[in-house]
Amino acid sequence: MPDLNTQKTQSTAQQLASAASSEVIIDLDKVNKWYGNFHVLKDIDLAVHKGERIVVCGPSGSGKSTLIRCINHLEEHQEGNIIVDGITLDKNLKHIDHIRTEVGMVFQSFNLFPHLSILENLTLGPIWVRKMPKAEAEANAMMYLERVKIPEQADKYPGQLSGGQQQRVAIARSLCMNPKIMLFDEPTSALDPEMIKEVLDVMVELADTGMTMIVVTHEMGFAKTIADRVIFMDDGDIVEENEPNAFFNNPQHERTKLFLSQIL
Amino acid sequence: MAIITKEKTTARAAPLSDKSLIGWLRLNLFNSVFNTILTVVTVYIIYITVEGLLVWGVIDAVWIADTRRACFAISLDGACWAGVVSWLDNIFYGRYPREELWRINLGGLLLVIWMAPLWLPRVKAKVTIGLTTVFLYPFLAGYLFAGGDKGLFMQIMISGAILCLVGNTLHAFIGVFTGKGLPEFLIALLGKKAAPEKSQRNILLGILAVCFAVVYMLQMGASFETVSWTKWGGLFLTLVISGIGIASALPGGIILALGRRSKLPIIRVLSTAFIELFRSVPLITVLFMATTMFPLFMPEGFVLNKLTQVIIAVCLFNACYMAETVRAGLQAIPQGQYEGAHTIGLGYWGTMGFIIMPQALKHMIPNIVGSFIGLLKDTTLVSIIGLFDILGMLRSISRDAPWLGLHKEPLVFGAMLFFLICFAMSKYSRRLEVKLSTDHKH
Repeated sequence: MPDLNTQKTQSTAQQLASAASSEVIIDLDKVNKWYGNFHVLKDIDLAVHKGERIVVCGPSGSGKSTLIRCINHLEEHQEGNIIVDGITLDKNLKHIDHIRTEVGMVFQSFNLFPHLSILENLTLGPIWVRKMPKAEAEANAMMYLERVKIPEQADKYPGQLSGGQQQRVAIARSLCMNPKIMLFDEPTSALDPEMIKEVLDVMVELADTGMTMIVVTHEMGFAKTIADRVIFMDDGDIVEENEPNAFFNNPQHERTKLFLSQIL
Repeated sequence: MAIITKEKTTARAAPLSDKSLIGWLRLNLFNSVFNTILTVVTVYIIYITVEGLLVWGVIDAVWIADTRRACFAISLDGACWAGVVSWLDNIFYGRYPREELWRINLGGLLLVIWMAPLWLPRVKAKVTIGLTTVFLYPFLAGYLFAGGDKGLFMQIMISGAILCLVGNTLHAFIGVFTGKGLPEFLIALLGKKAAPEKSQRNILLGILAVCFAVVYMLQMGASFETVSWTKWGGLFLTLVISGIGIASALPGGIILALGRRSKLPIIRVLSTAFIELFRSVPLITVLFMATTMFPLFMPEGFVLNKLTQVIIAVCLFNACYMAETVRAGLQAIPQGQYEGAHTIGLGYWGTMGFIIMPQALKHMIPNIVGSFIGLLKDTTLVSIIGLFDILGMLRSISRDAPWLGLHKEPLVFGAMLFFLICFAMSKYSRRLEVKLSTDHKH
């Protein structure tokens, strides 16, 4: 069994060099969560720096999705501390609401609002949560639709768009809130192969703007291109974390080796 | 080997199409000996039934007569519609003073004017118009129907309602012709388009305040003679009770349904208990409770009239049924919609109001209209506790001296009236459903 601690210090040193800033924006400290009696997150420690791109991978049921869903409190953790953007996640609804405005999230199943047009999907949050004037919110939304390359779809409804287009709208919808952090929960898993690329392209562009991103994905090529750090989870533990080159070429842990041999 | 057609193929007649009437009959009703016999027998049965009805109701019927005896003198087997005709005013308005009937008609007309913009194209803010119908119109109509002295509260509400009615109508006209809303139009009219949002809002509020003051002064002088609720009756009373029931059932149902799904235990338990209590008791029991038991629980001197008690009972009863309909609709919305709403920072009310309710209500339209129809029919139960609603009126015809014993005709007339109203509602709900689902295409 390799020494996880030395690995961690190594990788932390490496990512400190590459990350845009050394300011910690997400700090998980001994986070534990159970579903009933099932221990899904076990003593998770993780510090994410501003501008850092992290890819989380691992077999299904390993707790990856739960981990990032805890960060914007879609799931509640039972033990430990989660500090996002300087605010501790607790039962205080104001804190939760505040953190949610700062953290964007993109889901596997898009979760667009089917009864609203694309433009309304994008402006709802800015107008009602950020209290932005309507005209400004719409101009802003069109700007982000340009960025995800579907401005011509603004007046359609989500049901009229392809999966890839819907997912790009979902990314734009999160960006409209001008978040500091973006979470991606298997954003390409529900898409046809040819649509995966258009979504990944948008995500790569987003990474180039210096956005702090945590991405749960099985797209290892994508992980190699953009990740500052790759985290491998298994059975509720962070088994291995490293910068992508070392992670893919020289995995330390037996579980990681097995996992990589199966998916690469 | 080459194939050579020796003769030119002659054209044949097209096969029977089931699109033409003859083709459809042949294919569906006369396509075998057995089916032909069945068809003939069925047609005969329909004929003898309908013929009887037709002879009774139309051919042998008497339309103009002074008494039931006079009806018999003209035709012994026909329907005596003359009784229904001479009671028409009573059936529609009950014993409301005849010289004041215009107030009821005006009330109905105002409702039509108030709600018409909802169906006009290019009119904005339809939700607001709908909400004002529910929350302001009842005060205006209530005073119109009941009359009497206006308290300060009623004065304010009536002024608000009149102002709103005028505003709505102007808004609708402007909307139809220019596609703009009233506020937008006023701002453009005053040439303040370039002004910042805040000062625009102040100007609009100023206009509103001035108009309100003017309307308030004007309405102070006007007042109507009191018409006691005991004189209300007929279709008018039925529509008042069921109208208030319908208008309050949905908001009440939404509140109760949200309460039942609340995370706060007290609210959840109270809502659940309330809903289950009312749902497990028949409406007629609730009505009896409301009129006989309710006053016993109230402090001495606290007297509500019977009509108010009945209306409260009907509202609560229907809100509980509506709550279960709404809850079913809410459960059909996937969890992902809540999560999507949370991730753009919407809180509980924002999530419910913008995301969940609009989708859930759309799913629920058939059920909602179903319970509205049920509500309209259920209100006839108030005739049992002594209110003369339409059923009460129809039945009292048979106790009126000239028409003694005339039971059948009034009830048939009532049935047709109810069918007309309920069928129209159900047809409209179908249209609404189709319209909403094509609007959003998913």
